[in-house]
Amino acid sequence: MSRMNYTVAIYSGNIPSTTFIENLIEGMSEKGLRILLFGKKLKDVSYKENVEIIATPQSELPLILFVIKEAGKLYFKNRNKLSKLLTSVKARNKSFRYFVKDLGAILPILNAAPDIFHIQWAKTLQVYPELMQLLDSKIAVSLRGAHINYSPLNDPELAEAYRSHFPKVDAFHAVSNAISSEAQKYGAVSNKIYVIHSSVRESLLTGDVHPKIKGTKLEILSVGRFHWKKGYHYGLDTMKMLKESKIDFHYTIVAQGDVPEEITFLMNEYDLSNEVTIIPGLQYGTLIDKLKSSHVLLLPSVEEGIANVVLEAMAVGVPVITTDCGGMNEVVTDEINGFIVKVRNPEAVAQKISALLGKTENELSLMTSHAREKIINEFSRQGQIEQFHSFYNKLATE
Amino acid sequence: MRIGLVLADLPQYSETFFKYKIKGLIAGGHEVIVFTSGNAGTKPITDYKVKYSLPVMKGNLVLQSLNFFNGILKTLIVSPSRVSKLVSLEKKEGRNFWEALKSVYLNSHIITEDLDRLHFGFATNALRKENIAETIGARMSVSFRGFDINVYPLKNPGCYKLLWKKIDKVHTISDYLHKKAVKIGLPESIPYSKITPAIDLTKFALKNDRGKFHDPVRIVTVGRLNWIKDYETAISSLAILRTDGIKFLYEIIGDGKELERIRFAVYQSGLDDCVKFLGKITHDEIVKRMEASDIYLQTSLQEGFCVSVLEAQAMGLMCIVSDADGLRENVVEGVTGFVAERRRAQSFAEKLIEIIRMSEPERIRIADVARMRVEDEFGIEKQNRLFNEFFLN
Repeated sequence: MSRMNYTVAIYSGNIPSTTFIENLIEGMSEKGLRILLFGKKLKDVSYKENVEIIATPQSELPLILFVIKEAGKLYFKNRNKLSKLLTSVKARNKSFRYFVKDLGAILPILNAAPDIFHIQWAKTLQVYPELMQLLDSKIAVSLRGAHINYSPLNDPELAEAYRSHFPKVDAFHAVSNAISSEAQKYGAVSNKIYVIHSSVRESLLTGDVHPKIKGTKLEILSVGRFHWKKGYHYGLDTMKMLKESKIDFHYTIVAQGDVPEEITFLMNEYDLSNEVTIIPGLQYGTLIDKLKSSHVLLLPSVEEGIANVVLEAMAVGVPVITTDCGGMNEVVTDEINGFIVKVRNPEAVAQKISALLGKTENELSLMTSHAREKIINEFSRQGQIEQFHSFYNKLATE
Repeated sequence: MRIGLVLADLPQYSETFFKYKIKGLIAGGHEVIVFTSGNAGTKPITDYKVKYSLPVMKGNLVLQSLNFFNGILKTLIVSPSRVSKLVSLEKKEGRNFWEALKSVYLNSHIITEDLDRLHFGFATNALRKENIAETIGARMSVSFRGFDINVYPLKNPGCYKLLWKKIDKVHTISDYLHKKAVKIGLPESIPYSKITPAIDLTKFALKNDRGKFHDPVRIVTVGRLNWIKDYETAISSLAILRTDGIKFLYEIIGDGKELERIRFAVYQSGLDDCVKFLGKITHDEIVKRMEASDIYLQTSLQEGFCVSVLEAQAMGLMCIVSDADGLRENVVEGVTGFVAERRRAQSFAEKLIEIIRMSEPERIRIADVARMRVEDEFGIEKQNRLFNEFFLN
């Protein structure tokens, strides 16, 4: 296999996928790799011509026809594989519908046989174990947030699937060092794990980074969907303390989804209806404007990979306070380029807000300049693309 | 008296509250009919009459429409004048004809009965049934539970507006719950009786070895795995104990939606080896687990009253509860147990350490005072008497 002439399947199951994955596809297609995308097509996307989409139909009749066609193809290529696949998928599925659905997902991948099959969500290993068993490709798996950090704790079958498949994976991409060591508990081999951080858009790295906080109402912002792991209940504890200390502040939570009972309850108990606003999700551009007009970005999470919103705040020069969860301490160094506190400790966050208010303008500028420097050096889009490119090259030539 | 009791489900083993309430009323010479929508599949043998509401089938429009018209027609044939009265009462409240018909359907199991009083076991049970008591010429009353008052109205402001107009008395399990109901619109002129939950003291015997702690010390909580119980704070307080070098075993009894979240907190706090999730177990097994425990911990953000804490006090466990309103009425701080500041792990940890360092005689003294108070104030007989009074007057 020559270095440039290989195909990579970037597999998330959805076309298009999350921002992170779409960036990866775009970056790699610019590098001239041949890329295959499989799964459910959600809407039209215009990729470069070296990106090929092999979508699985979702409605019943087209799906059945698709499965018959793909099964026929595999029959002529490798009868043995087809029969193994049918046996295995049938054993797993009681209903005919899911049997067909699973075949529709797996068959086109086996037929296309890419050189590298890059699984974006580790749970895929449990959902479609046949990919590990029947695909001759090099298998790469990305290690992200919940899939590694807590789902297997509460799901012994998932943990077991990881333990049996991880040792056989050819290479892992980890979004942080923290998640890399977590994955090793399930048998991921350390010298096969490559830490490649996420990145921020270049456009955020322009403009000045001199925050002004003194003499105004402190605008605190948190961004991220409603989920217990985001720790908004701890965030509200902190706000209660700020209110008791008579600090003039306003807290905005930008979060998609229904406001959980718990959050409504705490806001009501703490009497924070004037101090806290919840905005149900914003367009990217508006969100960045909102971020730029805030005085501090707070991440009260109990679990993260590396939260992109913290990287974005650091890029645009907004001071950050984050909990030390997941890989956040690989980005933020306390008092140098932001503030970092232990998880589940709202008092500590309140103290950091006081510390922030006590800083001079020069001290703050120094902090935010360090933050931007960190992003430019370690979280740039270009750097990330280069790292992924060599990740695939290495895997292809091994 | 003929008393109708509207409940979401037939009382399960955990809901001793309603079970005793019904038994007590029957013993007091009343006739009791329970109206419910739940459990229609497995009809249990009861010593009281049970009537089930007509089924509501979500998703199957054809079947539901057929059911609907069939139900309305049958009800109309049996009691035409009451149906017309209910429809007119509903329309008076601004509900349109279709909504009024829907109410006829939802109330069809009650509408044919002649009752002196119709009592709703939960305020949320009374939604869309506000006019049925007046329709059948019964007086109407309601019991408040924690969720009814603390949580449901937050997302549904004004949901009890019509209910407040129709009831002539209220039963509350704690003073604060009544106060909170007044805050959300219950007129203060409506009389209320505070009747706390009660427990069967013979089932929760005082431990012989009370006050004597195991090594490692054994801590227990009984309750659904739900955000309002705030298990995360319990876990964080135990993490502080661990840092202080105190050895313990914590058992959580109950199941629920938040298992993943709580299990992650345990893992993240490095407490995997000393926290156990027992899931949902039988009532007898719960008593056994409590007997084998030293401390009962309840970190809830809010509670109506909390029977488990009462049971723990009856058995002589050292209780630490949060300062959520219902719990403050349940435990007398420093006398029958200890109260810590809710959501503050440090506060719970301090109380835990205080109890662990306390001498055995001191613990026994607290356990005995707690037992005595439960016997005096939270026994079944007293509850029965109060309920009979509630329904008589």
